[in-house]
Amino acid sequence: MSNLLNRSGAIYRQLRAGDWLIIIFSLAITLLLFQTLWTNEHASKVQVRLGDTVYGTYSLNQNRDIVIEGGIGTSVISIAQGKVRFSKSPCHNQYCVHQGWLVRAGQAAICLPNQISLELIGENKPYDSLNY
Amino acid sequence: MAMAAIVINANKEPLYHAQGYVFGTLVDINIYGETEARASALANRVLQDFQQLHHQLHAWKNGPANQASQESASELMHVNTAFANSQQPVKLSPLLTKLLSDAQALSLRSEGLFNPAIGHLISTWGFQQDNFGVSKIDPDKIRSLVKANPAMSDITLKNGEVYSKNPWVKLDLGGYAKGYALDQAVQYLRGQQVQHALINIGGNIIAIGQHGNKPWRVGIQHPRKPAAIATLDLNDGWAIGTSGDYQRYFMLDGKRYCHIIDPRTGYPVQHTQAVTVLIPPQPHAGVLSDVASKPIFIETEDKKSHAAALLGIAYYMAISEDAHVLITENMAQEIEWLDEKFKLNAHVKLIKP
Amino acid sequence: MQIQTTQHDHQIAKLAALAIALHMIEALIPSPIPGVKPGIANIVTLYVLYQFGFASAAWVSILRVFASSLLLGQFLSPTFVLSLSGALCSLGALWLAIMLPKRLFTAVSLSVIAAFAHIAGQLLVVRLWLIPHAGVSYLIPLFAIAALIFGVVNGVITNVILQQTQRGNAG
Repeated sequence: MSNLLNRSGAIYRQLRAGDWLIIIFSLAITLLLFQTLWTNEHASKVQVRLGDTVYGTYSLNQNRDIVIEGGIGTSVISIAQGKVRFSKSPCHNQYCVHQGWLVRAGQAAICLPNQISLELIGENKPYDSLNY
Repeated sequence: MAMAAIVINANKEPLYHAQGYVFGTLVDINIYGETEARASALANRVLQDFQQLHHQLHAWKNGPANQASQESASELMHVNTAFANSQQPVKLSPLLTKLLSDAQALSLRSEGLFNPAIGHLISTWGFQQDNFGVSKIDPDKIRSLVKANPAMSDITLKNGEVYSKNPWVKLDLGGYAKGYALDQAVQYLRGQQVQHALINIGGNIIAIGQHGNKPWRVGIQHPRKPAAIATLDLNDGWAIGTSGDYQRYFMLDGKRYCHIIDPRTGYPVQHTQAVTVLIPPQPHAGVLSDVASKPIFIETEDKKSHAAALLGIAYYMAISEDAHVLITENMAQEIEWLDEKFKLNAHVKLIKP
Repeated sequence: MQIQTTQHDHQIAKLAALAIALHMIEALIPSPIPGVKPGIANIVTLYVLYQFGFASAAWVSILRVFASSLLLGQFLSPTFVLSLSGALCSLGALWLAIMLPKRLFTAVSLSVIAAFAHIAGQLLVVRLWLIPHAGVSYLIPLFAIAALIFGVVNGVITNVILQQTQRGNAG
């Protein structure tokens, strides 16, 4: 066993040129995967606004409901597993609720009647403003 | 209206972001490269000007139910009352004179497809209220309103006065005022030597300068998903506007009735999900971004390019009811699809502008 | 009827049993990220590959997948299918990788290649069969980094064991 441990100190010498090639190549692929799949993708936070002010900024890595008193009643915003949505709204049309789950940075949902808006914030916002 | 504003300054970028609810919609102002104090003062001023404009131009009494005071009658409402009651001319403010003559010209150019005179049709469909929609369609009333044929050509503007020879004219500048406000804001901010700003009123966007060393980037809403369908760079002076059947609509017996009404039939348009127009820099880019998407939306696919040509629109994209995209070649070069389906070009048809 | 077994068969059976044991231990230890496991049973596969050739390694690997799933009561379940497709892709990659010149490539290379092939095989099944529209793309970079780290570690361990064995054989 001690022999084995001694030898593990020599890991560096154990690897040959081809091994390094494979490791560097794999590392490059891994970094490329992070770059392509982890940018603009899942947001980390949601910013909730009530009227003209920021009501709060919440991490998406939690499961919770946020209850907000808006102009015309109570809205409920649910955060679950990296996603967020309007789950309850006092508005007539329920557009905000029908928007469903938001996941990507830059995605937004607005409840105009109750003047509450959600916007997902991530490292890289894919756009500055949304044309809708 | 309280006008507090917010700075998103996580990465120490000189970007100031303010938001407010005006014109019954969300207004979003980004100012880049100014000090926070100055940017905040400028954004507040712009929001106040919008509010002022709204007070003068709103066509319907019932503002949002949560507003403490019911909105008082606007100048436009007085004009509408006068139209309904007599053919006597009423005095107009210089601003409204200018707006009405401009809206009239655009309506004529669009062969009446942009028609701000159909306020009665709009209220028949219930789109003037916060709780859009009706529980029952009234075909007789719609037929009689179409027959009455209220049009912008019915009104006469002369010596700062206006009258309508058709009592069924009811003006609703909902498809014009936001665009006008954009142009005003640009003029004001440029006058204040602001180099970089992006103004968004209910989805209509106009750009000044750029976002630091890269252009302002805007997302185009997917008509059926809570996400953008594509993005594009909005360069200095360019504006973008979308008419969508998802903005204001109600469902009745499984059918979607959106707020965009064909003035020739009196019924909401059902063959199109969204039309986006991109407007190159010009004096009324904001107005065009608001107005020009409507005629293209209303016309059927084979006549959409004709409708675009009427208002000189070179860049546009239309998404049909069955989710196929019709896009001008020059616009296709500008945009970057986010939706995989469209990236493959399988559902996209390129057309000559 | 008596089946004739050789010394070689016995050795393979013992090694397969070891692989099954390691596989089971791993299956019972919860992982912080679902789907991310060190894959220590692959050390056995690699060892057999070097000592006894590809056919034996394939036997050990497939035997492990079937036996473990039977013992864990997961036979023909999605977990089993994932495991099998990972193992098959891994074996396919090893079949090619063993042809690399030994002078330049040690078990570390093979281990890393096998680990990447393993996740590729699993993701293929997830994508095509289990959850076609799932947001698994988010997890792929994590799988890849895990494959790299555990691939290197398992490869180094395999190298050490192989050297020990050779030394034992020599001495």
